[in-house]
Amino acid sequence: MNEKRSAAYRASVTVGLVLAVLSIIEYFAAIYLHSTVVIFLLALFKAVAVLNYFMHVSRLWTQQEGH
Amino acid sequence: MSAVAEQIAAHGAVHEEAHDHVEAHGGNALEQLRNNRMGLWLFFVSEAFLFGGLLAVRFFLWGETRPDVNQLIGLAITSVLLISSLSMNLGETAMENGDRRTFSICMVITMILGLVFLFGVMIFEWGIFPSIYQGHETPWGNVYGAVVFAMTGMHALHVISGVIFIYIVWNLGRKGHFSPESHWGVESCAIYWHYVDLVWIFFYPALYLIGTPVH
Repeated sequence: MNEKRSAAYRASVTVGLVLAVLSIIEYFAAIYLHSTVVIFLLALFKAVAVLNYFMHVSRLWTQQEGH
Repeated sequence: MSAVAEQIAAHGAVHEEAHDHVEAHGGNALEQLRNNRMGLWLFFVSEAFLFGGLLAVRFFLWGETRPDVNQLIGLAITSVLLISSLSMNLGETAMENGDRRTFSICMVITMILGLVFLFGVMIFEWGIFPSIYQGHETPWGNVYGAVVFAMTGMHALHVISGVIFIYIVWNLGRKGHFSPESHWGVESCAIYWHYVDLVWIFFYPALYLIGTPVH
């Protein structure tokens, strides 16, 4: 149980770190690239990560109970 | 002998009946959970029209320009909301695994970070305390101020309702509600909070990053 819990916490923190890194890249992309497309693509990656890992959108069409 | 067999059969029937009952009950609960999730996501779809409309307004009215906002402040308040999303996810994971203490701590942290984000927007974007920080725009000043206030205002309303939602769920959890097997309240609260974060993921670049600053 503890192992499972630790793994779940690790996964959450990893997703959080990915989101943080993408946000920083987005910030510098805005300063140096001035590309709307690049900025929105980065935002889209972040949105997909949040939808998939934090909002568990896949639970809508899988048999996964979640709890 | 036949009496014993009868007894075993009766016991078996009772057991089977109980099993059926549990299965039916569990099935209903699962069905209910799926319906709850679908309902919540349909609500998000309807909300997406609202926020999508605001984004469309921003690009229609501002085009390739934006107000001269402080990008570092934008990054700072975005980071706060991002960290709050992480703490909310950790709280939900904690409840899924029966770790009530971590759940409680994470919910409190999420609430605090939500309030920090809210006050960050109010102080640094709206300038409601000019003695602390002079705001950039006013809602009636020009097209930039009007859009900034419409977007951040609508988002802030959702942050406020999210913080209230988190408080209710945290308080119920503190009183012993929810369990690893049944915690739809926690799950829905977490998904709602992540939705608030998801909206900001698109609002942040639209407000702070895209376009040439106009003085």
